[in-house]
Amino acid sequence: MQTVLQLLVSGILLGGVYALAAVGLNLIFGVAKVVNFAHGEFLMLGMYAGYWLMVKTGINPYYGAPMIGAAFFVLGVLFYAGLMRFTIYKPEMTQVFATLGLGIALQNLALLMWSADYRTIQVLPAASESVSAFGLTLSTNRLIGFGFAAALVSGVLLFMRSTFLGRAIEAVSQDLVAARLMGVDPNKVFVVTFGIGIALTGIAGAVLVPSFYAFPTVGSFFVLVAFVVVVLGGLGSMTGTILGGLILGVVESVAGFLSPDLKEATHFVLLILLLAARPHGILGVKGAEKEALK
Amino acid sequence: MSVLKRYLLLRRSDALGMGSLVVLVLLLPHFAGNDYYLNLMILALLYAGLASSWNIVGGIAGQFSLGHTAFFGIGAYTSTLLFNYAGVTPWLGMLAGGVISVVFAWLIAYPAFRMRGVFFGMTTLAFGETVRILLIYSRKHVELPYGLSINFKPGLFNMVFEDRWSYAYLAGAYLFVVLVVAMMLSRGYTGFYLRALRDNEDAAEAAGVPVRAYKLLAFVVSAFLTSIGGTLMAQYVMYIEPGTVFTISFSVDLALMTILGGVGTLAGPVIGALIALPLREFLVEAFGNAGAGTHQLVYGLLLVVVVVLLPQGLKGGFTSLRLRLASQRKPAAQQDASLPPGDSR
Repeated sequence: MQTVLQLLVSGILLGGVYALAAVGLNLIFGVAKVVNFAHGEFLMLGMYAGYWLMVKTGINPYYGAPMIGAAFFVLGVLFYAGLMRFTIYKPEMTQVFATLGLGIALQNLALLMWSADYRTIQVLPAASESVSAFGLTLSTNRLIGFGFAAALVSGVLLFMRSTFLGRAIEAVSQDLVAARLMGVDPNKVFVVTFGIGIALTGIAGAVLVPSFYAFPTVGSFFVLVAFVVVVLGGLGSMTGTILGGLILGVVESVAGFLSPDLKEATHFVLLILLLAARPHGILGVKGAEKEALK
Repeated sequence: MSVLKRYLLLRRSDALGMGSLVVLVLLLPHFAGNDYYLNLMILALLYAGLASSWNIVGGIAGQFSLGHTAFFGIGAYTSTLLFNYAGVTPWLGMLAGGVISVVFAWLIAYPAFRMRGVFFGMTTLAFGETVRILLIYSRKHVELPYGLSINFKPGLFNMVFEDRWSYAYLAGAYLFVVLVVAMMLSRGYTGFYLRALRDNEDAAEAAGVPVRAYKLLAFVVSAFLTSIGGTLMAQYVMYIEPGTVFTISFSVDLALMTILGGVGTLAGPVIGALIALPLREFLVEAFGNAGAGTHQLVYGLLLVVVVVLLPQGLKGGFTSLRLRLASQRKPAAQQDASLPPGDSR
């Protein structure tokens, strides 16, 4: 019983981390219908940002998150203005390969600047790395990560529901043509969306670096996880991201207990099974996977 | 014979392209000079064949697979395992791998074809990763070294050759076969069906195209040919391991080469591979001393620029340039320019 509970709780905490890694991807997909294959590389840059912030200035990435968020917002705006603006109405193949190419470039830029070393930081004193409650052991870093995931998702939801700009973004995500007819400038919306999406990704990276190693190719692991989470939870659904993360985390934690070697495969088997049964994800709107892509 | 003759008269550019390819493959090894260039050429020809295989489903049918490394790896592993442990000639092992790949393709097609576009790509990507993980996992239960070497015993039966020329001819023959199959699929009514479902699946279905069956056909043929390419690559490199034959970057490479040359055209993947591989070698040489990763950084940026500026690839860019020049010379040929660039008809 104790083991089952422990597995469940670890899985939920891991799920928080996965949701965190996926939230920026899902936002950009939901609004601009662009699948950002460089997402993992932006996450990797976020991890390095958290790492260097701690190493150079001693600011803990948990406190530095707003700063990193602001910096990555600018990066996201540049990403849109410098590249995605030219591909947004082009066939999706163009978008996929533009972002894939950018991903290759960013990965190797990181390799060039920071070498292939595995880097991590210790943020919390060793004694408080984990907390115990009801006989269960919880990783503090993961708990904080989970808190960040919940806070960021609810922040985005609040922003979308209660501000004018947020409603404009929501409108574009629902129907680009109708939104444009209502006087919404999609370009402005896309700039802000990419800014927010990349900012979320940067913060996620910075928050992950105390519990995961940062290295140039770390993005390719997380991008796969993020894709699975997004498809699981539902394309473009923010709450779905959390749900998808939690399911993936729990399944992986249980599978890892039953058969450690097949742990990695669970992601993909889960994804393939889910797609066969419910292609639009758990909270996604039916047909989204087809409608979104025309 | 008369059918072939009539066809060739009708499609002069096909005959010209194929003919020049045959001449190129037959002659080029003799001018390659040294082993470095010959090696590069063999790899370029193999990749041209592999990218052309990918193009059958990814380009002509527009189903964007990112899991072709699974078929490549299955081909490489099946023939090598059969040869090393059962003494079966790779010529048969190649076909066995192809059949296994077809079965896998057919199985994954069921969930994957429920998705379109990028999500189809992600499903196939997950499939490729799953096969790799399962292969590594299987080593817990069966005796299997991490990497497999093929013994160097030259002979036609073993598909191992002492001289590189033989490999160049083999790779050239492979490319030729793939191109003939791709041509058969992209011409005639099959080609119309595939292009129709690529351009608008709903409309194609409404017009009575058996969408699922034709998607499956393209996928299965592409998987078979990719698998054959996997065997040939294993026979050439003579060493395989999960990390090199089952890797996402291989699937991405095939797609990238095709995009570079021109998606959905017959010449595109060949042009793409023949440019991408030497280009990468050149970048390694040019930036090799500038720090690890510099050449890849430049390669990635180049890709971005090409993809954004020439979404139809080099072939498409060339075609639209030619059409523009032609319409300048003869204003009467206006309707020609309205053909979508990059569509080889």
